[in-house]
Amino acid sequence: MSASTPAVSESLVARIAAVVGRSHCVSEPEQLRTYESDGLASFRVTPGLVVLPASTAEVAEVVRLAAAAGLPIGPRGAGTGLSGGALPVAGCVVIGLSRMKKILEVDFENEWMRVEPGVINLEVSRRISAEGYYYAPDPSSQSVCTIGGNVAENSGGAHCLKYGFTVNHVLGARVVLGDGSVIDVGGPVPDAPGYDLLGVLVGSEGMLGIVTEVVLRILRKPEATRTFFATFPSTDEAGNAVSAIIASGIVPAAIEMMDRLAIVAAKAATGLDWPDVGAALLIDVDGPLAEVEHTSDSATRLAAAAGAIEIRRPRDENERQLMWKGRKSAFAAVGRISPNYIVQDGVIPRSSIAPVLREIEALAVSAGLRVANVFHAGDGNLHPLVLYDARVAGEEKRAEELGGEILRICIRSGGSITGEHGVGADKAPYMAEMFSEGDLDTMGRVRCAFDPVNRFNPGKVFPTPRLCGDRPGPYRPHPTELSGEAGRG
Amino acid sequence: MRRAAGNALNPPVLPDLVFTPGTLEEAADVMARCARDSARLIFVGGGTELELGLPPDRIDAVLATGRLSRILEHAPSDQIVVAEAGVPLAALQRAVGAHGQRLALDPPWPERATLGGLVASNAFGPLRAPYGSIRDLIIGISIVRADGTLSRGGGKVVKNVAGFDIPKLMVGSLGTLGLISTVTFRLHPLPETSAMILVPGCSAAVLREVVSEIRRTQLEPASVVAILSGPSLFDLGILFEGFGSGVDQQRDRLLALVARDGAPRAVVVDAHDRATFQGRHDAVRELPAVRVKVAAPRSAVETVSADVLPPLLEALENGGAVWYPTLGIGFVCGDAGPAADAGAAASALLRARSVVAGLGGSLTVAAAPESIRSRVDVWGERPSAWPIMEAMKSRLDPERRLAPGRFVGAL
Repeated sequence: MSASTPAVSESLVARIAAVVGRSHCVSEPEQLRTYESDGLASFRVTPGLVVLPASTAEVAEVVRLAAAAGLPIGPRGAGTGLSGGALPVAGCVVIGLSRMKKILEVDFENEWMRVEPGVINLEVSRRISAEGYYYAPDPSSQSVCTIGGNVAENSGGAHCLKYGFTVNHVLGARVVLGDGSVIDVGGPVPDAPGYDLLGVLVGSEGMLGIVTEVVLRILRKPEATRTFFATFPSTDEAGNAVSAIIASGIVPAAIEMMDRLAIVAAKAATGLDWPDVGAALLIDVDGPLAEVEHTSDSATRLAAAAGAIEIRRPRDENERQLMWKGRKSAFAAVGRISPNYIVQDGVIPRSSIAPVLREIEALAVSAGLRVANVFHAGDGNLHPLVLYDARVAGEEKRAEELGGEILRICIRSGGSITGEHGVGADKAPYMAEMFSEGDLDTMGRVRCAFDPVNRFNPGKVFPTPRLCGDRPGPYRPHPTELSGEAGRG
Repeated sequence: MRRAAGNALNPPVLPDLVFTPGTLEEAADVMARCARDSARLIFVGGGTELELGLPPDRIDAVLATGRLSRILEHAPSDQIVVAEAGVPLAALQRAVGAHGQRLALDPPWPERATLGGLVASNAFGPLRAPYGSIRDLIIGISIVRADGTLSRGGGKVVKNVAGFDIPKLMVGSLGTLGLISTVTFRLHPLPETSAMILVPGCSAAVLREVVSEIRRTQLEPASVVAILSGPSLFDLGILFEGFGSGVDQQRDRLLALVARDGAPRAVVVDAHDRATFQGRHDAVRELPAVRVKVAAPRSAVETVSADVLPPLLEALENGGAVWYPTLGIGFVCGDAGPAADAGAAASALLRARSVVAGLGGSLTVAAAPESIRSRVDVWGERPSAWPIMEAMKSRLDPERRLAPGRFVGAL
């Protein structure tokens, strides 16, 4: 793609600057480097131009100008993604949505709010908290990541188990398409006739269009939340506790698991007095008071029966927040115990947690590496952190290979190569291992319906480049026809 | 293959040629053969929503999914089920129910309605309030495309963002993008117990008030159903599900809440009265002749009650209405009057649609006789995203052979 990407001309910069203002165009090589990667810093590509528009109309105009110049476009939120979804294409126009951060409208009675894509995830809940409402998806990066990025990646978080992902909480979106036209999909009122375009738009990793407004579902806060922290000798017992709790009919709001290494790291980073154990679970149950008291007691009993060493309950909300801070800071905390690490994201059936963790551990041992696990156990969404030291020759490569093997374990177990971080540039090669050519072809056609010239975010998700063609889907003979077993007519 | 003479799935539009594949491979083979012969197809499951949409332009053959009736995998500890499209919902519920689980979906005609048909028509019932609609429950799908290509999307785990969400795209697509051949759903535990409270004779204002109070007091009902019981009056049924102590507490708090508001007397109903209420609900939703779906902001229930329901009911015979106040969706159903009155019925529909559109909502005619359909576009105005929908159809079914003309904008 980069070979055929024309250079960003001075006149294009001038025309775009006339739309958004010169100060909102970044074209100096030094400054462009700020945008050369997202949270996956091992992938770096310098864009040709970065534009920071302030409205839907400006986005549409910038898209038209970039399209007329034949340039690919990379949408960008806060750049916190971990799969290289916001990685630029060489020489492309990056459209950053960080200036579009207004909360436009809140409707408590109908339980939605309309926001611009640059609004920070946590800001949404803050804005409505006093009225007793919140926005459910809570990725660990929620204090810095934006709603637009959440929509692109279908972000999850710890509380997906009960409440679902971004896609379950986005009611509508305004979208700028590759030709600069603007459409609305979905909206505050459900069930508008038509295909569920919103369903494919959310999680499409910026490849179908640029979202410039989002209607979010907001939820009434649950009456009560009970949290407990249970420690176990190993991840085997912790995994069994997860299975037992789910099997009992309880749907906890969150079940997070940390293994020994992750606990050590979180302690080092936060000063929490967590014990030195093989595994720990952090569990939230929420809902109406009596229901929560019942489920909390049951879950605690089941954890004990599964072999919990100790069960701690926070004394107050402050202590509860501290426990969650320990969990949410665990990724970064791993930096305290290892100079470098890869954050992996894969999904397995939750009943396979214990054996899969053992398999990963065995692979790590044979690769001479350490893996820390801190993850959403309730839905089987693993986050193995592969620790390595880039200064040691060959270690980085071994770590990458181990990360890849972990994804293959996920595929073999009937799971997925990504639960919430997205495919991006990082995992595109693995898509061909999870999906057949026919599966990928269908996804490619969906993309072509939105963006027939592949204007947006080329090079992501699909393992091999694919073009749309003017007349899609010619008749292809069936194998039996080719082999002479069947004929036409 | 067989002839469909005397078949139950037999509105006049259906042709005689019926394919009944028994495996995914056979289904793919039928689709490939139809591609070769340029045959136009319609897919039929339980035949419960055949009238939904515009009448297809011309159909050469039917592909009936009734023999695709296997439950392929149920993993109770992972709370997922994989099943072929022709499995009736009730059969699935019985199978997973034996393990204390359910698909949290309660649309009309559970014994007849098949999983594939439910996905294709985006069917739902009262449980949608807490659990969402099919798009929130489906996690994987396999389809056979118009060209015979077998294609999967999603997977078998609930949390999965690998690739575009093909399962959601297929929800509500009415068989116009491909044959839904298998579906994978997340399951939920069956509740330990439940309790229903009936508040008879509520005005629309009281409905709105009760819903607001439920939210304010952080109650979490499993369903909230209002059945029209008289001019602008509704019987309101509120269901709580869960563990014993939790259900008891929510039930008692709701009773206290409604009593304090001085609304009509609320009662906890026994199994018999609950079945009666359910029967009244089902009778409206399953009326065969004319079914109209209305979606509007929840806060607009008074406008819906005053300006949308009465003209529709006046145009129908034996009409009834169900409103889901926490969803902002309802159904008005009844028998069509004499064909001579179809013009009046059609103008009532158009008037109601314009009120609903003014509220930001939509009105869809899910079933109606030809005399009414010929006067009203069952879908209404094309949405602003219609060009993308048209492109989607043309990318996935470029020869327009799958239920051509049935979907929004006669796609």
